[in-house]
Amino acid sequence: MSQWVIKGLRAGIKTTAYPARAESAAGVSPGLPMAGDFPAGEIAALMACCPTGVFSERDGRIIVDHRLCVHCFRCVRGVNRPVGWQQTYEWGMVRDGQHEFGQPFRRSIHIIVVDAGDCGACLNEVKQLNNPYYNMHRLGFFITPSPRHADVLLVVGTVTDHMRNALRKVYDAMPTPKRVVAVGACALSGGVYAESFVCSKGVTAVLPVDVEVPGHPPPPLAILHGLLVAVGRKPASLMAPASSGMETSAPSG
Amino acid sequence: MNGAELKTEVEQRWPGQAQWRLDSADAMCEVTCARAALAELCGRLFLEWNFSFAGLIVEEHPEQWQLRYCFYGEREAGWVHVVTKAPLAERTFPSIVKFVHAADWHEREAEDLFGLKFEGHPQLGDFILHDDAWQENVEPMRRTFDPHAAMQHRKPDADWRPRRIVQEPGAFVMPIGPKYSGITESVHFLLETVGEDVIRSTPRLFYKWRAIEKLAEGKTVDQVLLLAERFAATTAFAHGLGFCQAVETICGATLPARARILRVFLGELERLRQHAGAIQEICESTALVVANSQAGILEEDLLRISCELTGHRYLFGLLAPGGLLCDLPSDSCARALEQSQQALKELNSLERALHVSSSFLDRLEEVGFVALRNANVYGLLGPVARASGFSRDLRRAQPYSGYETFNFEVPSEQEGDGYARLRVLFAEARQSVGIMEQAVAALQNGGVREPMRLRAGAALGWVEAPRGGAFHWVRLDDNGRITRYRIVPPSYANWHGFHLAVEKFAFQDFPIMLSTFDLSVAENDR
Amino acid sequence: MMPTQTLILLFFALCGAGILLSLVSPASRQGTVLAWVGCLAATVVVLAGANASLAGRTFSQPLWSLPALATTMTLNLDRLSGVFLSVTGLVLFPASIFAGGELNRAPDRHGGRAFTVFLLGLYASIGLIFIAGDVVLFLLAWEVMSVACYLLIVYARERENSQAGAGYLLLAMGEAGTLAAALGFLALAAGAGSLDFGAIKSSAPNLSTTARWTAFLLSFFGFGVKAGLVPVNFWLPRAYTAAPGAFVPVLAGATLNLGLYGILRVNADLMPMTQSGPGLVALVVGTISALLGILYATTDNDLKMMLAHSSIENVGIVVAGFGAGMVFVATNHPALAAIAFVAALYHLINHSLYKTLLFFGVGAVENQTGTRDMDKLGGLTKWMPLTAAAFLVGTLSIAGLPPFNGFVSEWLTLQTMLRSAELSSTAAKIVFALCGAGLALTAALAVTCFVKVFAMSFLGMRRLDENQRVVEAKSGTLAPMAILAALCLAFGVLPTYVIPALDAALSPLTAGGSAADALVPPFFAANPAHETLPPAFVGEFHDLGAQVGQGFLPGRGLVVLHRGGTENPVVFAMSTSYTLVTLIALLVLSYAIVRLWLTRSRQLARRTRWDGGVRRLLPEMTYTATGFSNPVRVVFDAVFRPTTVEDTRETVAEHFRTAIRREKERVHLVDKLVFHPVKSAALSFARGLAAMHHGRINAYITYALLTLLIVWIVFSLLPAS
Repeated sequence: MSQWVIKGLRAGIKTTAYPARAESAAGVSPGLPMAGDFPAGEIAALMACCPTGVFSERDGRIIVDHRLCVHCFRCVRGVNRPVGWQQTYEWGMVRDGQHEFGQPFRRSIHIIVVDAGDCGACLNEVKQLNNPYYNMHRLGFFITPSPRHADVLLVVGTVTDHMRNALRKVYDAMPTPKRVVAVGACALSGGVYAESFVCSKGVTAVLPVDVEVPGHPPPPLAILHGLLVAVGRKPASLMAPASSGMETSAPSG
Repeated sequence: MNGAELKTEVEQRWPGQAQWRLDSADAMCEVTCARAALAELCGRLFLEWNFSFAGLIVEEHPEQWQLRYCFYGEREAGWVHVVTKAPLAERTFPSIVKFVHAADWHEREAEDLFGLKFEGHPQLGDFILHDDAWQENVEPMRRTFDPHAAMQHRKPDADWRPRRIVQEPGAFVMPIGPKYSGITESVHFLLETVGEDVIRSTPRLFYKWRAIEKLAEGKTVDQVLLLAERFAATTAFAHGLGFCQAVETICGATLPARARILRVFLGELERLRQHAGAIQEICESTALVVANSQAGILEEDLLRISCELTGHRYLFGLLAPGGLLCDLPSDSCARALEQSQQALKELNSLERALHVSSSFLDRLEEVGFVALRNANVYGLLGPVARASGFSRDLRRAQPYSGYETFNFEVPSEQEGDGYARLRVLFAEARQSVGIMEQAVAALQNGGVREPMRLRAGAALGWVEAPRGGAFHWVRLDDNGRITRYRIVPPSYANWHGFHLAVEKFAFQDFPIMLSTFDLSVAENDR
Repeated sequence: MMPTQTLILLFFALCGAGILLSLVSPASRQGTVLAWVGCLAATVVVLAGANASLAGRTFSQPLWSLPALATTMTLNLDRLSGVFLSVTGLVLFPASIFAGGELNRAPDRHGGRAFTVFLLGLYASIGLIFIAGDVVLFLLAWEVMSVACYLLIVYARERENSQAGAGYLLLAMGEAGTLAAALGFLALAAGAGSLDFGAIKSSAPNLSTTARWTAFLLSFFGFGVKAGLVPVNFWLPRAYTAAPGAFVPVLAGATLNLGLYGILRVNADLMPMTQSGPGLVALVVGTISALLGILYATTDNDLKMMLAHSSIENVGIVVAGFGAGMVFVATNHPALAAIAFVAALYHLINHSLYKTLLFFGVGAVENQTGTRDMDKLGGLTKWMPLTAAAFLVGTLSIAGLPPFNGFVSEWLTLQTMLRSAELSSTAAKIVFALCGAGLALTAALAVTCFVKVFAMSFLGMRRLDENQRVVEAKSGTLAPMAILAALCLAFGVLPTYVIPALDAALSPLTAGGSAADALVPPFFAANPAHETLPPAFVGEFHDLGAQVGQGFLPGRGLVVLHRGGTENPVVFAMSTSYTLVTLIALLVLSYAIVRLWLTRSRQLARRTRWDGGVRRLLPEMTYTATGFSNPVRVVFDAVFRPTTVEDTRETVAEHFRTAIRREKERVHLVDKLVFHPVKSAALSFARGLAAMHHGRINAYITYALLTLLIVWIVFSLLPAS
């Protein structure tokens, strides 16, 4: 069995320095479309090419609702004028500002992960949080299978009809204080399944959501950021839904 | 048995009841037969003439039902579609499960979604539409289905009880899920036991049913391509490829060579990454922590390689009918190949280490045994079937996207236990890198997309996804919109046969065997 | 306080009066009669016993002389008998209330009048057995008791098929046991030349080894039948299951002790051991009985059958204690012998109390739900909270958890086993070590067994039919359970008062060894230093608070102390009294801190249990009793050796599995090895004899002539005298 010790030592330390420092390795994030100036003639084409209606226009600039983006890349591939792209990953957004968890939960929380009908990619990204690259244990985040021990409910997937009841039961079984983190475009808005008669348009149809992490799927770093936002160790992303009317600009990575 | 021999056989045995037609473009034989001859014909194809059952496709045409049973054999044998029709008012069909047990779930799904009755099938009902959540006669895939009415007047069965197969004093049903363990997909297991080991396991799936097939109806090809990529995103490229190939077959498109080679390259990259993920799951289930971490590192490496090359970790947004949506520079591909070779080196080193970890092997060897006969009867696919000795691979049997020009082996084992499945995963990963090397070497300059005109028609697209053969049936109308989209994913057959592996083993072995099957609930549930 | 003789006379008078009263009362009043008379009689006998054992007012009274047998029927109530009488009275008091309640609940069911008469007769015979001072009176009373037991089992009006068979088996085995015991007595009496216990006792030292072994084996296995020892106990589970619910508590709580009394009386009082052999035999048989009993109890789903097997287990522990005591007596360790006997007798008392309590509970459950199968019960705490609470006390006691009584006697028994280090014979030490390990295993299995019993019957989801209405038991059932629960707690919390009382009764058996001195150091004594305790650790114990209560509590102290020998100077100490106080204090304190301070501003939310998100958790999705005990069944497969009755698989359409039917049959090991062979041998012998009875007159005349011929030859060959 000593071969495993040697093997592990030889592999070295792979863990990212995030959140202490930004992660700059290639391939850690698919990025998201960037809001901002856009040639007036192309705006209509841009808005038409997006299957989920991410782009909207205000005063000649495009506004991006990242919660709807399903990473189809139609806005950069197969169009005349590709939209600007941000290779960031700090995407955690707060829904209505009131998410402060309080001091006892700042350093360590227990998370219960519920798959409410996801495609497998979001869940796989959540699973990557346990691999040596991200190692969420060092940040005090632990996965628990029982809702009685959980502080944060992390939901992936558009909530299918058959999972509504189970999701609700998990939430009810959690003791207060509790927070809900919705991960992935499907959980935020229903994604490409929004019109299906057995899918809800996101977790908000079933539960109150505190932190949202857009992406399809959001990379592990984005999910980490969302969790850090939930416990108040990182500020929420300034990317806000189009409906709030706020200006967006490229946030720091 | 090639097309001509089949024609002779069919006309001899079922005179007047079966008409045979060869579609030379597809190398697909279509046999239209009467309902009375259906079961026997399918039985002969499956049992005697060594065809594999791909799936049952039910289509509701304006005046008739059309049931299409797809079979495929090795290269010369090609595809055989057995089609039976009936007026809409008649809804009873003979069941073929006595001969082709692999059709079990297909018939149950047709009964749940279309309301068809299959005579001779002993266990219809409570499949996709759980009886304790839906009333009878919902039939969501019918054209006349009204979603609002159905959702408003729900009458679940309050007396629903789990089906009990074990009759032993003191036997009980242990429920697991739908939320269980740490980070797992939602599926409900009902394990019948008398306390020490699992005597019978019945998974209750379709908690994640999103009704993709219904959603796709009436949408454009581009919109449905998004659905095809995203319903089982861990093998997004493979399923997207299957869909694109179906559309390309309907429209008679020819692909540029560079597109075909890049498709092969990306498909194998995805296979390598998915197999690394499966190996990581197996190491995690046996709690061999260092191996789990090492495999996790490899999976993340491959995800980053994918993202660096294509912009997305799961290869979204690359496919388009007629080729690829965007070109990938050859040197980027070479760099990705180099990184993959490095990852393979680490993977091989991990395999060598695992082969000598006796405590790890103890959990896998002779555990979760699936016999070759059962693999055949249930129509298991992918590494699971190959570990039991049933080594039919679509890349060999029915090559697509230029696979016939590539040199590779299809690894298989004989033992059929958990360790055999692990060995097959490692071997296939090695073969994938080999194919990727050949692909990069064969890359030539050129375009990656041919313009394509959509036209009406229907075709089957198939692809050997990392988990096994996936089949996509697409029917387009004159406007280029989808009227029927049927997906038969590999996890469908493998979930069907999963209970074979867990019976008579202890509870502690259950999660390990589950991980060796590399099943995806999202893929199965659609 | 009245003299003991008067109390005894009063007891028999009450039993007689009760019988007469029952004969003239109508059927609907039988229960009341039984309850009142039974309680009065039990109270009297407790007083008589206490008088004898605590106050020392023993008596010996010759009754009638029987010149034909050269003996006088004597009554002899010494301290040992007094202890047994008190215990029996403590059990019969609530048992009478319970039985009376049962009779009133269903007046026709038990054949009320017959039941009352026989039960009161049984009380009288039990009392007589304990105070019998000579062999004849003893055996007479024993026979009356046996017949009364048989009639009580068989006389219930609603007969199940097994009842008559179980009754006959009880009677047959009982008679066989009586015969063996009688022969044992005769072996002793032959040496003494008299049937009087006193004479036997004084001539015991002169017995030869053969006579000793004969007397031991005959009396041990003879009384062992009544006590329930392997291999002669195969009647016990059947009889307990067949006995009506009103009688079974008496059967378990009172009549079981008679066998143990017999063993103790013969082998420790009348014939103190001089060799360690018999003691080791007793030890081994006791351990095996305990192990087998608890194994079958753990894997049984019928509440009554399980308690019957558990009785076998407890009797095994008592007999193991007796065996250890006998070995220590033979090897001249009086103090250790005293400790062993005290442990065994304490366990006997405890078993009577908690087993009766558990049988009350089972009776209540069966009356309310109509079933005894644990796989069909569940969730009864919701509807029968008081019954559940009392049953829980019984369960905790039998599992041996402090501060209840089971813990004290198990602790003492295991400590006794540890003291085997002081024996000189290696063989004896090995036997002790193995038996000690066996008893420890038994204790662990007992916890498993009773966790299963309580959890499956009272906790969890209700598995009964929805139409079955379940209500709390009546006060006629709850009051006796409360009494016994209180007694269980009392005997658990006050060991330091019980041990000296038992010691007074037992020290004559151990040639002056004093368990009280060894086990209960006088921390309350004015002089804190006792001669046998080094002052250093008296000081330590004082620091721990061993002298708390000095001023106002009577007795020697509240700590039970057990010291290793001189080669092994360790100290084991426990105090269930302090444990109880500390437990209550901690529970109250933690509740106060948590609810009144830490979470005072929080609201309490009540939600349903977490079930994995299933739509509805059904009873069939919960653990069954069989499932819970399956690991034990699998691990001890070599003992159980089940045979497969059915193992079939049903398949439809070639590949659809529709049913897997499996069933296994288990035959009790003792049945397989002892009962069935004996039964077949007896039956074949009887068949052989029956061959002689074919009804032909000519043959019978031939038999008569042959007999005459043989007798004439024999007599003619005898020397003239």
